[in-house]
Amino acid sequence: MTILEAAQALRRRAVSSAELTEAALKRIGELNPQLNAMLATLDESARTQAKAADEQLAQGADRGPLHGIPIAVKDVFETRGVRTTCGSVIFLHHIPDRDAAVVEGLAAAGAVLVGKAGMHELAYGITSNNPHFGTIRNPRDPQRIPGGSSGGSGAAVASEMVFMAMGSDTGGSIRIPASFCGTVGLKPTSGRVSRYGVMPLDFSLDHMGPLTRSVRDAAITLQAIAGFDPRDETSSDEPVGNYLPGPDCSIRKLRIGLPQNFYFERLDPDVDIAVRRMAAIAESLGACILPVRVPDIEALNAVGRVILLAEASALMEKYIGNRDQFGPDILALLDQGRLLPATDYVNAQRLRRMMQRDFARVWSQVDCLFTPTTPMAAPQIGEKTVHLGDFVEDVRLAATRLVRGINVLGLPAISIPCGRDRRGLPVGLQIVGRPFDEALILRVAAALEDAAR
Amino acid sequence: MKNWEKIAEAYDLRIPDSDLERIAPSLDALELAFRPLTKRISDDVEPATTFRILRESSE
Repeated sequence: MTILEAAQALRRRAVSSAELTEAALKRIGELNPQLNAMLATLDESARTQAKAADEQLAQGADRGPLHGIPIAVKDVFETRGVRTTCGSVIFLHHIPDRDAAVVEGLAAAGAVLVGKAGMHELAYGITSNNPHFGTIRNPRDPQRIPGGSSGGSGAAVASEMVFMAMGSDTGGSIRIPASFCGTVGLKPTSGRVSRYGVMPLDFSLDHMGPLTRSVRDAAITLQAIAGFDPRDETSSDEPVGNYLPGPDCSIRKLRIGLPQNFYFERLDPDVDIAVRRMAAIAESLGACILPVRVPDIEALNAVGRVILLAEASALMEKYIGNRDQFGPDILALLDQGRLLPATDYVNAQRLRRMMQRDFARVWSQVDCLFTPTTPMAAPQIGEKTVHLGDFVEDVRLAATRLVRGINVLGLPAISIPCGRDRRGLPVGLQIVGRPFDEALILRVAAALEDAAR
Repeated sequence: MKNWEKIAEAYDLRIPDSDLERIAPSLDALELAFRPLTKRISDDVEPATTFRILRESSE
């Protein structure tokens, strides 16, 4: 069941928010011992919120499709009076006195917060193999990683614990778990969703967005959390659009770019086939598939890594004296950032501006891009490298290779399931759009989702 | 390649030798990828970081 279907059932009185919430808590109780997707459940407050939602709906006070729907947020979003750890022992006793803007937005839309989802330590990695809170497992195959850093959010949605879980994405951390777990994951444009009250990994690359069971559910969530927030210096005052695709959304005559360079190199062949099949489906729906050359994404990734290493290390500098508080992978990244000269950071931010201008040319040729989200399906837990044809690649670098650059450019992107590999593991299609054109990528994604049904 | 051990020592970063050894290949790879890019930057390009002075900051 999707949010849209549950919302209809709530209004028909076929189900109550209290029943949906009890079902969510029961499922978490059954599955979480194995998957470890949720760090904490908020049973009592969730039941209170659900009861209030039922009463309001009965009185005709309808706050929209999220009203009464059980959801979770990654433990990077601050929640007033509820411990928020960012997946780190440094914040083991951090109890915020405020809600993140996203949490406020979801509460205003009537969503029922049932828990905080687990994550990679400090949102700085893609395995969600957390040394402090345990390994999060992929519901499609518990011997495999769910991706990260929003691994708990991906696992919670894929295992149907909750209808939606919020994630954060600095170098692919929403889209990678969406791809590995077979869910939808939306990273909005930089500045579209407020970062207020989100524990930062990086000042200039962090983005907030939902992981959901359907494209329209992602649109519904974005509608509730998008908009200008003066408390976030990077927040944009671009008008918020209508994001929900209609029931018969058309993509006729849309120009969809299929990159001829970079994005289809070093892929698992099953991923290549699945993504190209989606392009063929889009063409059958009337879209024009156009070959396009994109600017140097390898360079963009190097720029993104310099920015992330420098900014994350600056943020964590005051804690690094106590090295025992960090997992070995985090420590390795923080040390790398401390060794970079300040000139490299400034020049990376200058290159970012140049690359943003270069990439803008792509949008004169096409309306959106189709790429794989990740070059392979979910790796095994503990796997350090992946074999892609003749190449052996570090798991983290492989998983982030096709998504990291989009954060540097600040563009909106969505990952949707587009088939399975030979082992039955989900494969993700990434759709990238123009700045603030979330409505278009959601429409394309919804059309493909409808066609696949 | 850069001598990361000496850089860490000069900055007084107190990174254990074994940890430095482990991260050196990643830093070398990043150096190879990033250093040539800096030559592409024209002088008039400003960094994509923002600083906005607010009216209330003068009060």
